[in-house]
Amino acid sequence: MTGTAAGAGDAIDTAVALLRATQRRRRRLEASLAVATPVSLLALWQAAADLHWVDPRIFTPPLGIARAAGQLISSGTLPSDLAATLARLTVGFVIGAAGGTAVGLLLGVARPLRAALSPLFTALYAIPQIALLPLLLVIFGVGETAKVLTVVAVTFFVLEINALSAVRHFDPRLVEAGRAYGASGTKMFRYVLLPGSLPTIFTGLRVSVALGLVVITATEFVASNNGLGFLVWNSWQLFEPSQMYVGMATIAILGVALTALVSGLERVAVPWVHRRSH
Amino acid sequence: MEVDLLPGAERAPAMRGSPALEVRGVSKAFVGRAGETTLALADVDLDVQRGTFVSLVGPSGCGKSTLLRILGGLEQPSTGEVRSAARQTTSGLPAVAFVFQDYGLFPWLNVVENVAFGLRMAGVGKRERHQRARAWLDRLGLASFERSYPEQLSGGMRQRLSLARAFVTDPEVLLMDEPMAALDAQTRLLLQEDLVRLWEETKKTVVLVTHSLDEAVLLGDRVVAMTARPGRVKLDLPVELPRPRDAGTVTGTAFSHLKATLWTALRDEVRRSLEHS
Repeated sequence: MTGTAAGAGDAIDTAVALLRATQRRRRRLEASLAVATPVSLLALWQAAADLHWVDPRIFTPPLGIARAAGQLISSGTLPSDLAATLARLTVGFVIGAAGGTAVGLLLGVARPLRAALSPLFTALYAIPQIALLPLLLVIFGVGETAKVLTVVAVTFFVLEINALSAVRHFDPRLVEAGRAYGASGTKMFRYVLLPGSLPTIFTGLRVSVALGLVVITATEFVASNNGLGFLVWNSWQLFEPSQMYVGMATIAILGVALTALVSGLERVAVPWVHRRSH
Repeated sequence: MEVDLLPGAERAPAMRGSPALEVRGVSKAFVGRAGETTLALADVDLDVQRGTFVSLVGPSGCGKSTLLRILGGLEQPSTGEVRSAARQTTSGLPAVAFVFQDYGLFPWLNVVENVAFGLRMAGVGKRERHQRARAWLDRLGLASFERSYPEQLSGGMRQRLSLARAFVTDPEVLLMDEPMAALDAQTRLLLQEDLVRLWEETKKTVVLVTHSLDEAVLLGDRVVAMTARPGRVKLDLPVELPRPRDAGTVTGTAFSHLKATLWTALRDEVRRSLEHS
């Protein structure tokens, strides 16, 4: 009898080991495909340019872009442009996110204030924030303030709308449970509404960091003499496509890095959402 | 460190017999979105003696959950009053604890933090509240899950968690709103046994709203049956089955008689509620 049981146990172990191995193999394959696709596209691009299937003066091949990047880094142009863009984006994002979250949460709990301001904010959000730039330039001149404010504007509205919606659509059963266990007034806000709203607020942060990068790039196209947006625009005007590609690639990498940073913060701040998905 | 789990058990028997909750002429009207009014409760009188377990049954929509929420102060009656000996506590802890059908657990708090929530709101220090929470988690077999989040637990475990959250504040009165309704039949049996055991150990004053006549009779010292909307008390049935009770209690003849009496009283009300909805 025990022999049979042990035999069945061994058979199950073997089956489980087999399943695990299949799973591992599939994961490895998927990971290598994710890397292989962009690498082959780059190789194809390089080949197409080398064989003159495309005009390498317009479609600078990857190796040419890498060379241009090396020059821009050693001359200090790229680091200083990156720093300028990052500074504007960070300052604007932090101010806009803090303000938008605070105002959104406040409107969520204060009904008269919501009635007074929420429709106005929704209407303002419908105006593309970049369209505000000329007005900001008229008011503040071509300085840092106007550029940072375009980022503030986009971040503010996204966060205001997300925070407001988090409070407005809060699970009433949780509010009730909070009330039943003694959370009222500021305690209700601090221990129930605020932590429960964090996932929606983080969604807003992820969206607005990407939008902020779009807006600051566009702003730098037209109203700046440094920054990554200026690098791209200026390279186009000087017909230096290789530098233009370097600027575009840097913006792309920056976008990925910033989104990853916000996601990382999210995992720390709202670990319960992350764990739920597994 | 000794954790006093059962102060209620020592206190309650001496004071048994005096009402913990007195409901006098309570009515409740709601105004809907379209401006229509619904009378949920009409002139309800009810006494709940200290240390007794009262089951509240009635057709869907008869206002039994509303009555429970009024008992717990989550809702104000339109007329009448609720006198609650329990509400006059000075400890800062709520004297009433709720167990909800959908658990009402906070997804952002882990298991031990969920249990300790009421204590935290009452200003109990972190060490003490976690110690008290852990003692109850132990008692309900959840000790190894204290760092998990509610979403990671099964329905039965979540409801145990919400029982722990209610008991840890050592309330005078426990109000339970269909706590088993979302559970599968077997888990439900297990939780009913948990609840019988906990009640027999602590002798809290309990009001339990339930759809299940079995559950009402198995757990209650009394079963109060309500009419279709607007809810009034139709029948107040003492359940004199011996304790301790367990899953075997439901097989006795006395149990069947009580259930039959209840059903006779309820049948017309349930029909009425069907015809009106």
